[in-house]
Amino acid sequence: MFVENLERGFYRLVKHDRCLLLVNFDVDAICACKILQLLFKYDNMMYTLVPVQGVQDMVRAFEENCEEVKNIIFINCGGTLDLVELLQPAESVIFYILDSHRPYDLCNIYSEDQVRILGKPDEDDEIPEYNDVFRDDDSSDENETDEESASDRSQTKRRRLNEEDIVKRAGRREWSEKRATILFNYTQYSYYGKSSAMIMFEMAWNMTKDNLDMIWWAIIGSTEQAILGKVESRLSVLDEGFLQAHVSRLTHKKGAEVDKQQQQQSTVKITYDKEYPFESNFCVRYSLLLVLYRHWTVEDSLRHSVPTAVSLRLWSLRGEQRLKGLLADMGLPLAQSKQRFSAMDLALRQEFKQMVEKLAGKYKVDTIIGTSFTLQYGYKFKYCASDIVYAMLALIESSSKTKLPQGCFLDALDCLSRTKKDILESGIEKAKLMLKTVFKTAQTILQLKEIRNTGSFLYVIIPEGSADNFIFAHPYPLMMLAQFTLKAYVDSSKNRRAPELPLVASAVYNAEERMCIMIGIPPVCEDQPRSLFGRAFEQAAKNTNSYIDADYFDSTIIRLKIEERPKFLDALASLLA
Amino acid sequence: MYGRKGFKLISELDLYSDILPFNEALIKEILQEMQSLYDANVANSNAIRNDNNMALLPSVQLRHIALKRNKRCILAYIYNRMRKLKELRWELGSILPPEINTNLINAEVQWFQSYNKSLAKYMRSLGEDHGFNLTTNMVPPKTLYVEVKCVEDFGKLELDDGQVILLKKNTYHLLPRSVCEPLIRQGILEHKST
Repeated sequence: MFVENLERGFYRLVKHDRCLLLVNFDVDAICACKILQLLFKYDNMMYTLVPVQGVQDMVRAFEENCEEVKNIIFINCGGTLDLVELLQPAESVIFYILDSHRPYDLCNIYSEDQVRILGKPDEDDEIPEYNDVFRDDDSSDENETDEESASDRSQTKRRRLNEEDIVKRAGRREWSEKRATILFNYTQYSYYGKSSAMIMFEMAWNMTKDNLDMIWWAIIGSTEQAILGKVESRLSVLDEGFLQAHVSRLTHKKGAEVDKQQQQQSTVKITYDKEYPFESNFCVRYSLLLVLYRHWTVEDSLRHSVPTAVSLRLWSLRGEQRLKGLLADMGLPLAQSKQRFSAMDLALRQEFKQMVEKLAGKYKVDTIIGTSFTLQYGYKFKYCASDIVYAMLALIESSSKTKLPQGCFLDALDCLSRTKKDILESGIEKAKLMLKTVFKTAQTILQLKEIRNTGSFLYVIIPEGSADNFIFAHPYPLMMLAQFTLKAYVDSSKNRRAPELPLVASAVYNAEERMCIMIGIPPVCEDQPRSLFGRAFEQAAKNTNSYIDADYFDSTIIRLKIEERPKFLDALASLLA
Repeated sequence: MYGRKGFKLISELDLYSDILPFNEALIKEILQEMQSLYDANVANSNAIRNDNNMALLPSVQLRHIALKRNKRCILAYIYNRMRKLKELRWELGSILPPEINTNLINAEVQWFQSYNKSLAKYMRSLGEDHGFNLTTNMVPPKTLYVEVKCVEDFGKLELDDGQVILLKKNTYHLLPRSVCEPLIRQGILEHKST
């Protein structure tokens, strides 16, 4: 069941009871959860938040906490699973699902009361009609057999019944074939929908409880989707417009108060750097989509941003020269480019944007000029939305033997509050390390030409043994690596079909248990990032009888035994051929 | 010089804000000093009375002032320790931590117990039947609920209204302040402020 009016259909219902929040490990979920937490705090509602990393985690968390909790809110998890079947809840428990993973499980959509999906169904979801998938007369099946065995009253009736039965059976067979194709079409692709943080923000706005912090979290949620390429660019542009309108509305309101209170120092300012000035009074500011450039050196930032690294082919020796050439054209001394951006000469810093913008065309790096939001709080706290996303991604994935993933999750949650600058800074440092490792690994892969082409898809296996490679046991760094190598491959390959090929990347997950993690990403040419690997993995596993551990909520990420990997890839190749 | 030791006692009080071991040795020395002052004064005053030797009078007066000053110092020392103990009672409750308890002398322990008793008696007399705990919420709380992070596995926690909450490591909760406070002190929960 979809709940479209979130205030009436969700918030007011959970308001009077304690609720359980199960939150997936991703930035969007954390942002959505943070908005919800603030709303709950305003209303003095007790809640328990449990971070869940995978399906098993979710089931365990549910079982541990389900006592006396009536309302369970799933954030970015559970929507694609048949929750009632999986968790076997008591009658009185109600599930609220806020999930950006698509497609939703049909049992969740057509559940009468127990499962409620927050948000509107998208137009592109193409949800099958109820009657096509479920048959209310399913039960008549049993009745008939009962009748057949029990009622031997009249033979004539029985014969007629048999005729009817045959017709019915044929009809049913036809129906079930149709159902299978419909279901296949529906579940074939896995993709992402609207950011959950945005949905939560819209709810807060409808309740007029929104504030600048909330919009900032919503911005971060949607920025993450854009950075990781989870949604098509068209949608994220639309979202940006929507967010920008809210930012100006909220800053206006806040500005009036500030004038009264004369608290200039502690104001929170979110600025939106726009590509083209639509209004004359809006100050023209281009923004650069370079990773963390405010907190890094220009050289490193150029090297580790995907658009520049791909267009300049920075993984090769020539690329290195090209980077030097770009810096020379910009008129940026090498010594300066190796300094932290904040320590560069003021004049260079002020001109930096224009310099890059002027040369973007020449070096074919137009994509680095775009739009972004920046938050400024006081004098020292100035961060771009993408900076925070990278910091949070690095924090989420920073679990190690001494630190539980759940602890990392709470760190990432803290990272969002304005007062925890030290956590954010440590996150940014970790993000730099992560980006460096991603770049270095991609460089090795590209130089050694380790990308294999099976004809229908590309695959790359990250070699074992390197000390840095343990970070690829986590899904997000692996996803970033896969996206980077795919783009780089497509850009440098002579194969004309390269843009149409998806990529599968695999790395060691746990060396002792001989498990590896595998991820599939859609091809470059598709604007709408729908991935067919979710189903394909499942099917390939079935064909090879290998055991895969699809514990992640994103079905395009799986774990399997290392020994079974070659066999699995072969099966995948024959399946997709 | 007279009064030096008294001054030392007071400056010790002034330098450290927490309760130090009761400085019995120094107090004994001060008392000895006082005794000797007193003895000298008795001798002199006898001399004045018997011999009418008025020349001794200023020195008697001086000693007397020194005597009074020492007395004030000791009383101030004792009184201030008592005041600190009183503050601790409101802050930490009726049971003192062992590191403070070892620093007290017997008389202080007795005083603390009797203070406890009278405070408890008073608090019981307040309110209807239930008594009223004056020591909670010394400062009006800003919110009734606080955000807490669970740092250690604790198990099940029952709230005042009978709801049961499972406190597991690395979970995050919004709970009533009154329930959380003791757990935060025990280090099971960690208060998170945004």
